[in-house]
Amino acid sequence: MSPVTLAIVATVAPAVAALLLLVLSPLRHRGAPAAWVTLLGSLVSLGAAVMLLVARLGGAPDARATIPWIEERGRAMAEIGILIDGVSLPMLIIVCLVALCVQVFSIAYMHDEPPRAFGRYFTLHALFLFSMNVVVVSPNLLQLFAGWELVGLTSYLLIGFYFAKPAAAQAAVKAFWMTKLADMGFLFGLLVLYVSTGGFEWTSAPSATVATWVTGLLFLAVVGKSAQFPLHIWLPDAMEGPTPVSALLHAATMVAAGVFLVVRADPLFALAPGTREVMLWVGSITAVFAALLALVQHDIKKVLAFSTCSQLGYMVAALGAGQAFAGFFHLGTHAFFKALLFLAAGSVIHAVHSNSLDDMGGLRKKLPLTTAAFVIGSLSLAGVPGFAGFFSKDLVLTSLEGKASWIPWAMLLGAAFLTAFYMGRLLIKAFWGELSERSSHAHEGNVAMTGPLVVLAIPSLASGFLGGWLATQSSAQYELHLGLTPVLASVMSLAGLGAAILVFRKGGQAPFTHVLEKLDTFSVVDRTWAGAYRIGLLGVASLAGWIDRYLIDGLINFTGWSALEGGSSARRLQTGLVRDYALLVTVGVLVLVLIGVLR
Amino acid sequence: MTLMNCILLASALMAIGVYGLATRKQAVAMLLSVELMANSANILFASFAHFRGGPTGQVFVLFALAITVAEVAVGLALVMLLYRRHGDTALDLASEARQ
Repeated sequence: MSPVTLAIVATVAPAVAALLLLVLSPLRHRGAPAAWVTLLGSLVSLGAAVMLLVARLGGAPDARATIPWIEERGRAMAEIGILIDGVSLPMLIIVCLVALCVQVFSIAYMHDEPPRAFGRYFTLHALFLFSMNVVVVSPNLLQLFAGWELVGLTSYLLIGFYFAKPAAAQAAVKAFWMTKLADMGFLFGLLVLYVSTGGFEWTSAPSATVATWVTGLLFLAVVGKSAQFPLHIWLPDAMEGPTPVSALLHAATMVAAGVFLVVRADPLFALAPGTREVMLWVGSITAVFAALLALVQHDIKKVLAFSTCSQLGYMVAALGAGQAFAGFFHLGTHAFFKALLFLAAGSVIHAVHSNSLDDMGGLRKKLPLTTAAFVIGSLSLAGVPGFAGFFSKDLVLTSLEGKASWIPWAMLLGAAFLTAFYMGRLLIKAFWGELSERSSHAHEGNVAMTGPLVVLAIPSLASGFLGGWLATQSSAQYELHLGLTPVLASVMSLAGLGAAILVFRKGGQAPFTHVLEKLDTFSVVDRTWAGAYRIGLLGVASLAGWIDRYLIDGLINFTGWSALEGGSSARRLQTGLVRDYALLVTVGVLVLVLIGVLR
Repeated sequence: MTLMNCILLASALMAIGVYGLATRKQAVAMLLSVELMANSANILFASFAHFRGGPTGQVFVLFALAITVAEVAVGLALVMLLYRRHGDTALDLASEARQ
């Protein structure tokens, strides 16, 4: 099969699965068959992606195929199609692989759901994979936007999967509005781009001003989707969704779509140094801020959620430094180890029936495999030398070297320490120490649960060594060199782990816990946005509602009312008495005769 | 017998017809009034034909009479229906269409 056909198969297979499940509702309502259909779709996608990779390793060039989408005066206004190159192909494989692992894991994790909910869950998963693939293979920004919005929709639906629970429903609405607010930037950015270039290509812009406008607006969407400060607040709340959903959407793939967008539109961003400067700072602030908040979370998933924010901050900072490849590399390794961590967390939650770290402890004895997976993921995340996260994080930090300001570099180094510190805290609290009461009944899940952990542990360990290959694919420079930054980063991560062991082994607390907890519970950002939501959105909505109800509806009702009223008053003219009509006829004739005579 | 006399007679009949139509309530009386007005027009036709010469007007009167007979037949049928419905022939009763 040609690369184009393969790419189309990879993209469309999950859509076929989703469509099948949506249309054939008995299939969906039976539960288990839905899981198989979705798994088959993902497997076909992954298979096609791997075949593409094999072809590429054999020397196949980039593949691009488009068809006109919207015709306007005989000219295609936009194109829809696929683009397989050194960026989209690795991303496609990451997305399909992680999605498949998560779906297999879900079979065990969601086992207790009623069949209808189970079927709905897998239908949404198939829909998500299709949407994400649309984003990944899109050859222009318009199609990317379409996939982006689809991804946002499935994210909303999956966060709100337990919609009967108020917290989940609220989290879904919050995520929806926060990302929609940001997506307005994408939309306006596209408008500016189309007006100034007549297309939706990411290759160039006519002037630096246009590029700054477009990239600035696009970056707003990135801040929303990739949960950067100050729009990050939806991500921790999104943990209300099922844990495998958090692993796939809110750690590995969907939130990385923002980073992916910037990597794609890198030629545009290269023309806008101002936007890059902002990105650098936003990324660095997010990386530190979220890492600090991760220190005081008691919910195992929230620790990982803030960690995701923080790591996305790393990626954004690298993109802001103009090193798109560094961001992309970190995206790839992060997708693996964060998905691994979330699935391992899911395994823990499944075993102890609680999200709270306080209910855990000593799990190392009960869940050896999960513990091993969690340790591998944590060490990779912390950037311990040799693990995947080390290579990518090191590249991010190196890319910040020699910039005008050394502060972002220092902030990210500090965040590397904090990352190791909070992961050490999590490990010690959950897996070491005394066996808690809930933990004592814990046991490992079946092979559907442990299998994905093993599969994901391999790239979490080893994907760092693929950096060189990945760099040649996207024609970037990458070589590991022994400089100040890698050494410092390694020292930071090891120091963080060491400090965590020292502080938390005896059940201690992190320094400044009090201050950080205050910061967390009295979240200024959260409150500001809640106020903005209440005043801005709900206010405007109720104003619009008032206008609709009383002005627009009033006008229409008035038209109807006046016709009715006018009719019933005019009805009094009709007496229904024949003599009256006879008289009127006669008088009328007389008047006509008079007029005739007088003329 | 002059043309003027004939016109006066026709006018008198027309006036009586109008008065009757406006004042009577009984359907038969109103029908009679209408007939009076029609006949006043017929008289005018006939007299103008007589005094001016030519048969056209007189022939026209014959046509008009035939049509009037048909009209009266329809009118009386309506009066019958009115009587069956209301047990009376007062036309004021037939004002249901107003509702």
